[in-house]
Amino acid sequence: MPHAIVMPKPGQFTEECTILRWLKKEGDPVAKGDVLFEIETDKANMEVESFFEGTLLKILVPVGGTVPVQATVAFVGQPGEAIPAVVAPPPPPPKPAETPAVSPAAAPAAAAPVPAAVPLLATPIPASVAPSSPTAPAAQKISPRARRLSKESAIDPSGIRGTGPGGRVLEKDVKAHLEQRGYARIRITLAAKELAIAEKIDILAVRGSGEGGRIGVEDIRRAVDEKPKVMSRMRQVIAQRLTQSFTSTPHFFVTVPVDMTDLIALRREMKDRGAPYSVTDFIVQAVVLTLKEFPAFNSGTDGRSVWWRSKVNLGLAVSLENGLVVPVVRDADDLSLAELHDRAAALVGKARDGKLAPDEMSGGTFTISNMGMLDVENFTAIINPGEAGILAVSSTRETPVVRDGRIAIRSVMKITVSADHRVVDGSVAAGFVNAIRAKLEDAALWRRLA
Amino acid sequence: MDSYDVVVIGAGPGGYPAAIRAAQLGAKTAIVEREAWGGTCLNWGCIPTKAMISAADLAAHVRDAAALGVRADNVRIDYAALLAHKQATVSKLAGGILSLLKAYGVTQLRGQASFQTRDRIRVAGADGESTVRASKVIVATGSTSAVPGFLPKAPAVIESRAFLDLAELPARLVVMGGGYIGCELACMAAMLGAKVTIVEMLEDVLMLLDADARREVRRSMEQHLGIRIVTGRGVDSVDAGPAGARVKVGDEWIEADRLLVAVGRRPVTDGLHPERAGLWPDEKGYLRADGRNRTAVPGIYAIGDVNGGPQLAHAATSQGTIAAEDACGHRGKPNEALVPGVIFTMPEVALVGLTEAEAKAKGLAVKVGRFPFTALGRAIAAGQTGGFVKWIADAAGGQLLGAAAVGPRATDLISVAAVAIRAELTAHEVGRTIHPHPTFGEAWMEAAHAVSGECGHLPPPRR
Repeated sequence: MPHAIVMPKPGQFTEECTILRWLKKEGDPVAKGDVLFEIETDKANMEVESFFEGTLLKILVPVGGTVPVQATVAFVGQPGEAIPAVVAPPPPPPKPAETPAVSPAAAPAAAAPVPAAVPLLATPIPASVAPSSPTAPAAQKISPRARRLSKESAIDPSGIRGTGPGGRVLEKDVKAHLEQRGYARIRITLAAKELAIAEKIDILAVRGSGEGGRIGVEDIRRAVDEKPKVMSRMRQVIAQRLTQSFTSTPHFFVTVPVDMTDLIALRREMKDRGAPYSVTDFIVQAVVLTLKEFPAFNSGTDGRSVWWRSKVNLGLAVSLENGLVVPVVRDADDLSLAELHDRAAALVGKARDGKLAPDEMSGGTFTISNMGMLDVENFTAIINPGEAGILAVSSTRETPVVRDGRIAIRSVMKITVSADHRVVDGSVAAGFVNAIRAKLEDAALWRRLA
Repeated sequence: MDSYDVVVIGAGPGGYPAAIRAAQLGAKTAIVEREAWGGTCLNWGCIPTKAMISAADLAAHVRDAAALGVRADNVRIDYAALLAHKQATVSKLAGGILSLLKAYGVTQLRGQASFQTRDRIRVAGADGESTVRASKVIVATGSTSAVPGFLPKAPAVIESRAFLDLAELPARLVVMGGGYIGCELACMAAMLGAKVTIVEMLEDVLMLLDADARREVRRSMEQHLGIRIVTGRGVDSVDAGPAGARVKVGDEWIEADRLLVAVGRRPVTDGLHPERAGLWPDEKGYLRADGRNRTAVPGIYAIGDVNGGPQLAHAATSQGTIAAEDACGHRGKPNEALVPGVIFTMPEVALVGLTEAEAKAKGLAVKVGRFPFTALGRAIAAGQTGGFVKWIADAAGGQLLGAAAVGPRATDLISVAAVAIRAELTAHEVGRTIHPHPTFGEAWMEAAHAVSGECGHLPPPRR
């Protein structure tokens, strides 16, 4: 009896994964521990090894296919063994109403569809936004001749209404379509048509830019570039999560300028003595300390209930080449400045390398988004679902400032908190950012902490 | 003050077609020329060199014709008659330009044009001065040979324009610069009997060509024409005397009757005062323009060599036409991207579109189909089997992206390749097109088959 290879469950909240690559072909011998395939979860990529020995008999889910965890994706066994009747992978289970560990037990789960205390990338995606399923959309009924004519004509037959049995598209339907759409009037260069066929571009939908509207290679290339493409899992998750947060959370924003001159000087002094701290480490520490003073910013709400967290799990938004991830420093309020520095550096490094484990990206209670290195005056960030605020840190710039009745040039950095108005009032947010500012401007505090 | 819709400054291969096109479109048009109708191309460039190269080429072919059963002993060059043929060619074509301009009603203004303001241009000529008003101005003032400052100013140190007017062919010629102008004139002089040395600073001559084409031309220049080619070294200094020059290259002094300087060309804007119209040349002196030849000043266009684009007469002609149409309110296509190049060396070379080296630099996946004239009936019959043609095609769809030809009639053969590439034909379609037999042009069809390794007139490709 062949062994079923199933999609693993790489993270606590992961419900489905996409196959990125098969490293074995059907018929290849497989040893225990051989990497069979690579998957993309909503957070990271990982390799899946075989627990069995034998031959890869059958691949059920092709590259690009997305299936629920625990679904069978392949069979490994002895050559010639019968493969069990393939059961279609079950649909993803209905989204559970998650109850955050720290939410009050009375939280009305059924009435709380907004997932709670999980960070940006940790909520399962509702089935409705799940991308390409392993089975293609219901195949159009089309005769081989009609298909060939469509292909040779470089057109897309999917919109053609078939007149054959059961709506089957016949060659004459394609011909009628071509005539009705004025196909004979299309002028196209030979190379452009070859390219359109290869790239599956419907030339009826391409506007030619050549003389007399002739379609050239450039026009087809443009159509290829403009063709809608399925976004990566990461971008889909970002889209879904941020839309949900921005449309369901009443955001408001409070900005203060922070005079960083003294802290920068202190940091330089410490660096000369060999201390590793970056300005970011100071900001992280200041935020952790301030969150303990303003617990509303370390809470979460669904609009009916509110839950307070006793620990600070600080998310750090890290931009990647094509998206972002938010690694979480757990129990940040228990850590010294040195420990914060080490943990943050390790997590950010893993994030850049795409090596974060799913659980290193979940459980955050507040997030910092730092654009300091991107030369910006100020910006506002979108709160991660389940959190009550996010701090946007902008670049430090030489700025004329009035001090003691005179204009001085100081290094000024603007910070802007985005707050969920359901749990945070305006005065609290003002107090919060000013408390962070006071800490960052207090060099004596840092001499003590470092 | 006379007012014009369009005033063209410079009557070279860019300017005069621009004026004719503007007039065709109904614009009241004037053209200003300070020196000679037809510009460098007609007077000191493309045309006179071809008159002389044709003679030299003919002499070389006649000398080589014994194998074909033609004996012409004691072939001699009458250089004075050759120069007269050159002058007659130039005069005939210049007369043609003048009568065309007249037939289209273009006002001809002789003299130095200079901007007074954005729309006023003073023309100072032998018969006095006048100022005209111009709604649109097309600057087509061209370029001139660049001569490095360290060279002595002496009769023995000349650039291409003076070379063409020499009453006698120098017996010993050193050519500084192995670009296409230097190589063309070197081949011509060698075919007419001069002892020629080319000194090129780069690693090879004709660096715009792919290595296979360069190899073919260089071999012929060295082995057939006896030209000495020194590469990777520059001219260090020159001692010029009354009768000749000594040219120092590395440790060696080369004796020459003339040193021909062909190291590039620089834009001509002296006396034009474009700054009075608000138009400032760039740091190299070019009047930069956009893809429709519009400068930064509305209503002023710059075409041809002066705008820093490809320094080729046919590119200037195309740009002039496009600029004239834009000036007359016909907003059309931007400049043509596909500019063929032709080099009248021995053998001739021509190219259009991408070279293999460019395709490689761009990271494009291409296939190359090459067909040598040694395998072509017509070439063997003519006794001209040196060289080849080749296509560079997109590896996936077979779209023709570039072509090169080296050998007999290469400069004429390239036009059909330009048409095929611009029409975005594929190698397959050119291969299927029936080419007349027996002709040199058949080589394109064979090379197109060779792109897919299916040329039946070549042995199967080695794997």
